[in-house]
Amino acid sequence: MDSRFAKQVASLLVGLGIVVGFVLWQPRRANAIPAFSRQYGTSCTTCHVDFPKLNDFGKAFKDAGFKFPADDETYVKVQPVMLGSPAQKELWPKTVWPGTVPGIPQIGLRMNTFFQALGKSRNNLGFATNPTAPYIPSTDFATGYFSIFTAGNFGSDIAFWVDDDISVAGANANGSLGDGYLKFVNLGRFAKLPKDSLGLRIGQFELDLPFTQARSYNISGYDIYTQPNIGTPQQFVNNNFSMDAAGQGVEVSGGHSYGGYHYSLAVVNQNTSGTNSTGTSNVSPANGVAFGSDSNFKDLYGRLAYRFNLERDKASRNDVQAAGPMGPRDHTSLRLGSYVFYGRSVQRILNTSGTTLLGTDREPFYRVGGDFDFHYRQFNLYGLYMYARDHDVLPVINGTGALTGFVRGTPATFGGGFIQADYLALPWLMTIMRWDAVNSPNDQANGSGQYRATRNRFTPGAQFLIHANIKTSFEYQVQPQYVVLLPGQSRPTIFRGNTAVAALEWVY
Amino acid sequence: MQRKTVWVVVFAMAASLAMFAGDMKGKVGGVSGNSVVWIEATAGKTYPASDKHIVIDQKGLMFHPHINVIQVGTTVEFLNSDNVAHNVFWSSISGNKKLGHNLGTWPKGEKKPFKFDQPGVAPLLCNVHPEMAAYIIISPTPYFAETDASGNFTISGVPDGSYSVTAWHEGAKQQSKPVTVAGSGNVDFTLTK
Repeated sequence: MDSRFAKQVASLLVGLGIVVGFVLWQPRRANAIPAFSRQYGTSCTTCHVDFPKLNDFGKAFKDAGFKFPADDETYVKVQPVMLGSPAQKELWPKTVWPGTVPGIPQIGLRMNTFFQALGKSRNNLGFATNPTAPYIPSTDFATGYFSIFTAGNFGSDIAFWVDDDISVAGANANGSLGDGYLKFVNLGRFAKLPKDSLGLRIGQFELDLPFTQARSYNISGYDIYTQPNIGTPQQFVNNNFSMDAAGQGVEVSGGHSYGGYHYSLAVVNQNTSGTNSTGTSNVSPANGVAFGSDSNFKDLYGRLAYRFNLERDKASRNDVQAAGPMGPRDHTSLRLGSYVFYGRSVQRILNTSGTTLLGTDREPFYRVGGDFDFHYRQFNLYGLYMYARDHDVLPVINGTGALTGFVRGTPATFGGGFIQADYLALPWLMTIMRWDAVNSPNDQANGSGQYRATRNRFTPGAQFLIHANIKTSFEYQVQPQYVVLLPGQSRPTIFRGNTAVAALEWVY
Repeated sequence: MQRKTVWVVVFAMAASLAMFAGDMKGKVGGVSGNSVVWIEATAGKTYPASDKHIVIDQKGLMFHPHINVIQVGTTVEFLNSDNVAHNVFWSSISGNKKLGHNLGTWPKGEKKPFKFDQPGVAPLLCNVHPEMAAYIIISPTPYFAETDASGNFTISGVPDGSYSVTAWHEGAKQQSKPVTVAGSGNVDFTLTK
């Protein structure tokens, strides 16, 4: 059966992905918006601790639709261009509702470059056992992302964001759109709801994850976010969805990320193939409007969190930033949250020759998790746990090759998460320690090479701000154990492919 | 006859004033924009401390005014007119870190006073908005002036005598020169970065 073959191929690819991934780190997107610095005449550190990590004021700025939370117009150094006088509002609906565009193009650019060093075992999973696999040198330089991003506000509480990788790894125009959305902030005012209790985001966006992957300040991403769910050969599960994938759809949200409640509910295209539909040629074909995504079903994502600001002083507790004896600072706070993603994994069932569609298998799946985020002065401890489950719906094919029905199999599951501690030793020096863990017995069974069902990765690191917009970062990744039978050896070799990575990044 | 007497008296008074106090004029060159010039304290002479109050505002993520010259003893009231949190601190006065001070945080509309009782230059900063900066030049004497944009200055009412005069400009090396005032005085500076 072709679908089963496809699943096995996918399993192999995932295994290979893990194998290669342990030496070839994936640099993350990291967006800070220097255009806001130009517009407001203020430093990156007004909104960022260690760009792109946001401080409490940066979170409030984002919540407000890329505006200062109050009296925004008094801070703008480059005045916006009026698209109609405010007096035009009185003439509506006999005129277009007036808005604004930023007085300067809100464009920021970002470039980064990397250097990595690896140990002796770096080729154990690739070149040592497969002569055609790429050879991995002990040290290597790599060109990262050259990205453009633009964000701002059109007035009337309408915010926008677009970021795109113009060039990746030195190759031109092979990047992709990150987020591209329009957000209607504070829509609840029309229904006289509390301020900021309802907003609407439309377009392509990273899900409202507890900790962003798309705008992470770490060199390496969170392992659990990139984990697909591929069943064993005895299962019929082949779900390449990962939590870090951008979704296309709509999202309603409300509350604040710097204190109190926050929620979001999103409806997005299904993406169990692991390919964004915007990356295909299906968008806006010449013969009409027809878009392509994985299935008719729309996936659902929801998040609910509450942040307790633990300041003793009430006014300080409720303000955007806490008032300290040495000046404003981030709140001492604890945020607790949970999230759930529900979707359906669709697989086409073909006959053995792959020429006839026998039917479609729709397998419900979910990802559910909880998270915490604790801040105390310069110390930040946060973590997340996620459990994943895909129903295994096995097609029943009779002796003549016809699909006669489905039976329930053993669900494919995995779990894991991460805990990270950041300490801002100096305003320009942040030290990091992270533990990633992914428990996926299926990956082990599918021949990924991992020694145990759980892959543990420990990542100490440090980041240095040369200027507020130039940063150098370092990570040493203590990788999970892998096992391989090397040529000419009778006993398997167990090893860790530890990796040291340095990055230099600048935005302007 | 009476009118002649009055004129004689007026002339004599004016002459005596010109003899004991005059204007010190000059120009600060080598830099562009406003500079500050002040007369240093002379050994053996005392100058009554000022009891003035001035206000420095924080508005639109900027200090207003950017350059402030005061006499020792002046109280500066720091106002926050922004809807965002600010603070004011200076890490030293003329490099003396023992005179550094942090005023903390206060909300919009409130002022926080501080009396400057040591002479020198205090660079004001805000620890959440590093681009914000202002300067307070604390003169040890009541004889000081801020130049115009071209660098010209006049310090009025300077008693006759010999002084050390100092010129300061943001980002430039401070410079002192000896000057003698006898009815009037003149001194020019050429500052370098």
